[in-house]
This record gives sequence, C-alpha cells and structure tokens, in this order.
Amino acid sequence: MRGSFLWRNRVLLTSGVLLILSLHLISTGVHPGDLAARPQSAILEIVSPVDAAFTRLSEGASSLVGDYLDLLNVRKENTHLRIELARVKSDQARLAELEVENRHLGELLELKDALGTNAVAANVIGSDATGLSRTLILASGTSDGLRTGMAVLANQGVVGKIIAISQHASRVLLIDDHNSALDGFDQRSRARGIVAGMVDDGLILKYADRSQDIRSGDTIVTSGLDGIFPRGLLVGTIQSVHREGPGLFLAVRITPAVDFRELEQVLIVTQPPPHLDEQAGD
Amino acid sequence: MRLILLFAAFVVLGLAFESAVPHLVSFRALIPNLIIILAVDLGLRHHGVLPAMLAFTMGYATDALSGSQPGLNAFMMTMVFIVSYGISTQLMVTNAFVGATVVFFGVIATALATVAIANGFDALSDTGSILPGLTLEAAISAMVAPFVFAMLATGKRLTGLPARAARE
Repeated sequence: MRGSFLWRNRVLLTSGVLLILSLHLISTGVHPGDLAARPQSAILEIVSPVDAAFTRLSEGASSLVGDYLDLLNVRKENTHLRIELARVKSDQARLAELEVENRHLGELLELKDALGTNAVAANVIGSDATGLSRTLILASGTSDGLRTGMAVLANQGVVGKIIAISQHASRVLLIDDHNSALDGFDQRSRARGIVAGMVDDGLILKYADRSQDIRSGDTIVTSGLDGIFPRGLLVGTIQSVHREGPGLFLAVRITPAVDFRELEQVLIVTQPPPHLDEQAGD
Repeated sequence: MRLILLFAAFVVLGLAFESAVPHLVSFRALIPNLIIILAVDLGLRHHGVLPAMLAFTMGYATDALSGSQPGLNAFMMTMVFIVSYGISTQLMVTNAFVGATVVFFGVIATALATVAIANGFDALSDTGSILPGLTLEAAISAMVAPFVFAMLATGKRLTGLPARAARE
C-alpha cells in the first residue's frame, strides 16, 4: 500500500480533488439553504463575536494609547487629578460617541419613516476579510428578521445587499464591489443603466446609450426595477462622462453617495419592493 | 486532531483580525494576509492528506467572510498549499525566509488569480492601480510571516505536534 502510486501521490491527488470541488463551488455558487451554505453560516456565527470583540479591543486600545500619552508627562502630585481628568475625558468621549450613534440612529429612523416600509437598523462590526472584495459584516442576522437579498441603506444613500447570513450576523455586498450591479437612472435626463462596481474601486454606469444627455454632476438614483432596492434612493453623483472611443455605450464614472469606510450603522429594508409581491401573486 | 484545533484557532483569530482591523486602519494594504501565511506553513511543514484538506477548509472559511463567490478562496488556498508543498519537496531548506518569499508571491498571485477567475482575464488590465497596494500588502505579509511561523511552532510544541513533518 505504502509503495503504491496512490499512496505516493496522495497529497497531490487530494489537492486535485479539492481544486475540482472548489471550481464546482465557484461555477454553481452556494444558495441559501444549500448543504454547502451551512458551514459558511456556522463560520460567520463563530467568527462574528470574535470580530466584534476585536473591534471593541482595537477601539479600546486606541483610546488607551491616547490616555497614556495624555498622562505621560504629568508630575507625581498631579497623578490623581490627571487620572480623574482622564476618566472624565473618557466619559465625555463615550458620551460623544453615544451622541454620534444616537444621531446616526435618528437619521436612520427618519430614513425609515421616509421610505414608508419595514426596516431594521444594524451595527457594522467588520469588513471584507481579504480586501479584494467589498463586503461588510453586520451584527444582525436571521434572529432579527433579516434574509439574504435584502437591501441595505444608510442615510446618505444605497449601501448594498445581504449575500450571506447566520443567526446573529450577516454579510453585505457593497455596491462598489466588482460583482455588484443594480438598476439605476440619471435623475435629470432619466437615462437608465446598470450601476456596477469596479476592481480598482469606484462605480460605473454601464449600458448608458451614447445618445443620452448624461452630464457630470448629475444624480443617479435607484430605479426599483431590480426588485431589491426601493425606487428613488440616492446612489451617487456622476464624476465623469467619456464619449470618446468606439462602442455603443458611454463610459460613466460615479462617485458613491455613501462613504462605506465610515459606516457604523445601517438600515436594512425587510419588506421587498411592491412589484415583487405582485410577481409573487402572479 | 491537534493540528485541526491549532489551525482552527489561528484561522478564527486571523479572520476576525483581518475583518475587524480594516475598519480602523485607513489603508487596507497595511493589513497582512494571515490565512495565506497559515496555508504556506501547512504546505511547507505538513505533508499529508489532512493538511491539504485543512488548507481547503481555511479557504472555505475565508469565503464565508470575503467576496461573493464561495469556493474562490478555497481554490486559492489549496493552490498555495500545493505550491508550498512542491517547493518544500524540492528544497532541502524550508526556513522562515523561504516561507516569507512564498507568502510574498502567494499574496500577489492569489489576488490577481482571484480577479481573473471572478471577472475574467480581461479584468487583469484594470489591476494596474491596485498593484502598488497589493505589493505593499504582500511585503507586509512576508515580513509578518516569520512571526506567525514562530507562533505556530510554539503552538505545535505546546500541543506536542512536530514542528516540521518528516520528508516523504
């Protein structure tokens, strides 16, 4: 057995089988409810608390370093007062943080009221583990009523959609990811197109006809036709329009309305846009 | 079993770190790719069916927290394992320098291959702008790699595992 071809090449053969399995997963994809989706949900469930702890720890460490630097040159007799001051400062920073969080949630609440649909707020606890894709991790999952495919918004505009979920965490594919696409239109000229992410950051408006009157500074909003995002939500503003070169369509770059790195709280629309219900009824 | 538990702990911590820290650091390229370092260690120092499966599982776990195409990172980590394994069987020395070199090229190659598989080979022409950041990430990952290898070696020693597998 030990001298056989299979035994001698067991590592390469196993790796080969695993490569084929990976390619199969890439080509077929994993859908919610699939057997292959269960381990992913479990991993998300296991890593998300550690992730949240890391986030808290990093924030705490940065605050600690700040406090230490503040106190570094203090004379001995003032130590007590300085510590007290640091505590007050820390409380003040915490209150300021709570105020910011409160303001964010208030803005999200206003957005929820403006949308007139069911929505829940969630905290952002992490971002994409590799950096090649643009995703976020939220501290809410199926136990909060979330499902895959739901639209994620911020008070500034569209953020993305949920692509993976576990009981207490979920992952959001941002609209500037190179695998993301949503139906949008120019609010001024009404020209439609597909808003897609790019490998090297940023957003583009695909399939915008050359004859359309699209200009820099125009606002792009969601059309609602993709069945995910409600109509009229801000996506971004047009940064540049290139009419030169061959091809049927314009090359349009968009600046996203949302600064995805600054997101702390988001709003998830738990009710699908109306026309989806109608389709389901049919 | 000890190898699985050791690497599972490192993978959970590594993924949590890679996922949480980008939120605080303004430049993503400054964060090392810890999972590739783990896959290289497996390929260089653990020759067998279980390490191959561990590398695949590590990639699959990364898929749970990255990107939108499950299987992509699993494929890449298995490839990194095979290449590291191949280098390890060809070279008499598999020290931290060799590991760091494999990590450096592994980070760049997997990133470009990920873009090519996910978006087609045409998309590689758009990667010019991400190459400087990618090279920086690869360099930082290579610099961090010896420390991770040392931590893994300590973990293996504490759990009674051999630091390097017997050559086949």
